[in-house]
This record gives sequence, C-alpha cells and structure tokens, in this order.
Amino acid sequence: MKLAYYPGCVAQESGKELDLATRWVCRALGIELVPFPNFSCCGSGFVDEANEVLNVAINARNLAIAERAGLDLLTICSTCTGMLTLANHRLADPTVKARVDGALKPLGIEYRGTTKVKHLLRVLVEDVGLTAVKAKVVRPLDGLQVGAFYGCHLLRPSDEMGWESGEEPHAFEDLLAAVGATPVYYRGRVMCCGFPIQFVKGDTASRIAGRQILDAKQHGADAMATPCPLCHISLDAYQNRAEKQVGQRLDLPVFHLPQVVGLALGATPEELGLARHLVPTGPAVAKIRGASSARSTASR
Amino acid sequence: MPTEATVSVPLEVYRFDPSKDKEPRYQSYRVDVAPHTPVLSVLLKVRAEIDPTLSLRYSCRSAICGSCAMQVNAKSRLACETPVGPEVARHGKIVVEPMRNQPVLRDLVVDQKVFWQKYERIEPHLKVDPRHPMPEGVVNPMTPAQVERFRETPRCIACAACFSACPAVSADPEFPGPMALAKLYRFVVDPRDAETQNRLVRIQTDGLWLCLRCHLCTEACPKDVRPSERIRDLKEMAIAVQGATEPGSRHAIAFEENLRTTGILNEFRLARETYGAAVVKELPQGLRIRRKKPELTKRPHPIDGADEVEKIYDALAPKEPPA
Repeated sequence: MKLAYYPGCVAQESGKELDLATRWVCRALGIELVPFPNFSCCGSGFVDEANEVLNVAINARNLAIAERAGLDLLTICSTCTGMLTLANHRLADPTVKARVDGALKPLGIEYRGTTKVKHLLRVLVEDVGLTAVKAKVVRPLDGLQVGAFYGCHLLRPSDEMGWESGEEPHAFEDLLAAVGATPVYYRGRVMCCGFPIQFVKGDTASRIAGRQILDAKQHGADAMATPCPLCHISLDAYQNRAEKQVGQRLDLPVFHLPQVVGLALGATPEELGLARHLVPTGPAVAKIRGASSARSTASR
Repeated sequence: MPTEATVSVPLEVYRFDPSKDKEPRYQSYRVDVAPHTPVLSVLLKVRAEIDPTLSLRYSCRSAICGSCAMQVNAKSRLACETPVGPEVARHGKIVVEPMRNQPVLRDLVVDQKVFWQKYERIEPHLKVDPRHPMPEGVVNPMTPAQVERFRETPRCIACAACFSACPAVSADPEFPGPMALAKLYRFVVDPRDAETQNRLVRIQTDGLWLCLRCHLCTEACPKDVRPSERIRDLKEMAIAVQGATEPGSRHAIAFEENLRTTGILNEFRLARETYGAAVVKELPQGLRIRRKKPELTKRPHPIDGADEVEKIYDALAPKEPPA
C-alpha cells in the first residue's frame, strides 16, 4: 500500500514523536509513505474562521499535489483530516470551485477531486484490516486499560466525514482491542479537548480538557490515546493546567495512536519518542503484563 | 411477552425530585413494543400503564414543537423521533436522561430559563432602521440569492438539543450556545435588518469565539440547522467588519498570516502574535514544554513551493496596503 504522507505541522515540529511512531508503524505494516515537501499547513480550522475560501484553496492545492501523483492522502491529525475532507466537500459547490480555480489555475495547479483523505486510524481499520494488524502483534498490551479519545474533527460533521458515527464511534476501541489492550468506554471520548480556544480563554479550554481526562480516569483508564496531535497538546502538554481547573491531580499518560500500536508491534519506547511526553508514560507501559521481559528483549 | 414483531426494551430512566430526593436515581422498566416505536411513546406507555409519577415534557409528538428533547443513550435527541430498535440493538438498553446544561426541575423536565435568556440576549427580532421603516402593507420581496443566505437556520424549533450537547455551554457561562448564535446568524444575513454591523461587533466580545467548533451541536440538531457552520460564518463576517478585536479573532488572523509566506506553521511566532505583550505570562509553560520538545521555538523551514501559497493568498486574501 502506497499513500501520500501528510504529517501536518505539529508532527513535524513540537509533536515530532507522532511522526516517528507513524513511520515506525507504517514500516512494520508495509505501508509505503511518500513524502511531499511541498504540502502546506491545512489551516488548522483557524484560517477557515478568518477566510473560508482561502482555506479551501490552500487545501485544494494539497489535494492536487497528491492527485498529480495518483495517491490517496494519509493524515495523522484529526484537524488536518477534517480540513482536507471539508475542502473536498466545499469544492463540490460550483461557486467555491470557480473562486478557487481562479487562484490555482494561473499557477498551473488543477484540482479534480479524486484524492481521498484517510486518517491512519481509518487506514488501519479499513485498508490494512484488524486481522492483519493483530497478526503482527508481538507484545499484546494485556493488562493495559486505554481510553480512546477521538476528539472532534476525525468524526464530525459526520455527514461530510462519512465513515463513523459522530457520537458513538467504535473504530478506535476495535483497534485497541486488536493490539491486546482493554478499551475503556467513557462519555468524554467523543467530546472536545478544548484546544481550539486554548488561545481565546485558556482556563475554559483547560477545564474542558480536564473533564475528559478525569472521565477517562474515573472509568479505569491507565492511559488515554488520541488520533490528534492538537488533542495531545491539550491533554498531555497542558495537563498541568487541566489539573488546576478540575482541582485534582490527574497524572494520566496520553499516547498518540501509532505509539499504542507500535508498542504492541514491538517498538521500543525510544523508537516511539515516549520520553518526549510531559506526563511520563512509564507507569502505563509497566502495566502491560510481561512488560519487563518484553522491554529487555527489545533492548537486546 | 415479546413476539417476533416486538422488541423487549430495558429502560433506565433518570428520576429526581429536588424537593424530596437527596440525589437522582435510575429506575428500570421493561416494555415490549415494535422496534420502530419512538422513545417518547415508550415513556408515555410507562406513565400510563406502570408509573404515573414519571414527569416529562412533550406536546406534538411529530418533531415540530421541540418539547421532548432529552438524552437517549447519552445523545441529545427528540424522543418522539428516536426509534427504540436501533438503540437497543446498539446498547442493549435505553438510558433516558434529562437534557444537560440545564437544571433538573423533576425527572426529565429541565428549567430552560438560561437557554431562553441567552436567546433573548441576541435580540432575536428584526431591527428596522427607524428612518426608513418598512412601509405599511408593502411587500418587501427578497431575491432568491438573499433567501439562500439564510441557509438552514429558519428550520430551528428551539428544542435545545444543541444546547444540551455543547461542551462550551457546560464549561463557560459566557458562551451564548449554538441555537442563539444560529438565530443571530439568521438576523445578520436578513437584508431588512439595519443592525447587521452592530450585531457582529457586539457578539465578538459576547462569547462568539468560545465556540470549540466540535460540531456536537450539528450532530444533535434534529432539523439539520448545522449551528457550528453558521457560527463559523459569523466569525468570518465579524472579522470582515471589525478585524482583530479580542483574542479569538486575533488568533485566527495571526494564524492566517503565519502561513502566508512559508506555508507552514511557526508555533512560537503564533503564540507571540496572538498573546502580544501577555506572551510573557505564557513563558514558564512554554519553557516547561520546550524541555521535552525543543522544536517549539525553532523556526520551521518554509515548504517547497511556498511562493505558490503566497500567490494563492495574494489572489484570495490580498494584503492591505500599509496605511
């Protein structure tokens, strides 16, 4: 399987560990990632707020780059997934398409709308298949209770995202079960992480993040896992602020989705960049039954 | 007895009478009905045949009046148009709870005072210019293009399902909520309204930018009003009227400009430009994160073909000439 790799900005910058883990997992599963150094930022929802047509146009350019190479697009960020998918939808409106073409055509860029946008979670569940993922597991995550945190833009608006329920999804839990972890079901799993208003009103944003972390914890999660590096910033890098807002210590490690898969497929914590998290992941990794022997095997 | 044509519905219904009960409890019932039976009909059957003390609000039973919004298996829904079959198939039971974000008066009935106060605050009525009142008895037809701009907003039945589903409403009393903002949009695009600009200026500092764009309102809305998308429209219109006036619009504009010449996000520059001088207060947190993630303050390489992005910006977001 060969896909155009769209890592998005954060995974190339402060969320580098997500990029590391993605590359490791895709290598292990035989997914070839084709890099395109000319992909731009998706606008992260903020450019969309300031100027919708501009946002559609920069993403039409991204989609056209993959289209020219005849590839579908692999994303590893919910917001990138949302923005690129919504661009495909909005370009179905002839008025929008005409304005975007007016900006792209003088540059020799043609958008035809044949490139599909797929998040890593969807590729693992729909294209690789959970049976194939399971077959590659060398260290099942037995004993580890993980709360999948979907966040928003991977699912909603569900009419446009067009794969999972916007309120009652199950793909992520299915994946967690396939790698041997025990999925934890909690209401906050489909709620917002607060990130979009982190710059607008930090306390409210952190209160929202704190509620979801607390919810996962109260339902028995040893860790959370997220398909989005922006959720990761809110839940991990800002967990100290979330703790202040909910008035208690949370101390809940938060994995990126490919890190959880990578652990089960035999990657070492170093290969997955686990030391780059703000909340230490060690206690969660230690909960995996037989973890100590697995770790020593991995380090040999 | 359940037959082939019926489903046996295990119900768990939220019960609470604040005048008597210390805390809410869940009461179990079991009712055999056809799978297409709406949750509301099942609740009315419970009240008629099993337990006359169950309190709920409903009226038309046809998804028009908006009275019977409640939580069905944690989703905000109109009970009258939510069939039991798929819920039982998915969850093995049906948990019925009152709407969220509003205090419970009794059982499934909530106090909607705050919901309506927030609605009143956006002044949901036409404000015609007193110097140019609409002449008595004269029809004022709109063009099809003007009508088109209303989008789906006139369909709203004020059921408050969006208000119940909204995490910003539960976290911050300053957020007007999806329904009030969708209604505001409806007046902002009305060509007869003379207060468009003032409405946009006021909402910028009155909670507009607290929307998380999580789209939970759009999922919950039984009339497909798509409030989250109309809130996005309001943000863009507010910026067009007034530019950056508070942190939300400042951040959106700073983000837009951040990509113009490089095509890639510069995280550090974004923080500096959004916070302005207040960025000093963010330094300890920034340094704490940078210890683990040193890239935070590095300037990223521009993408290949950054000039293409800049030309797209020139075409669709031309830089204003310096004053």
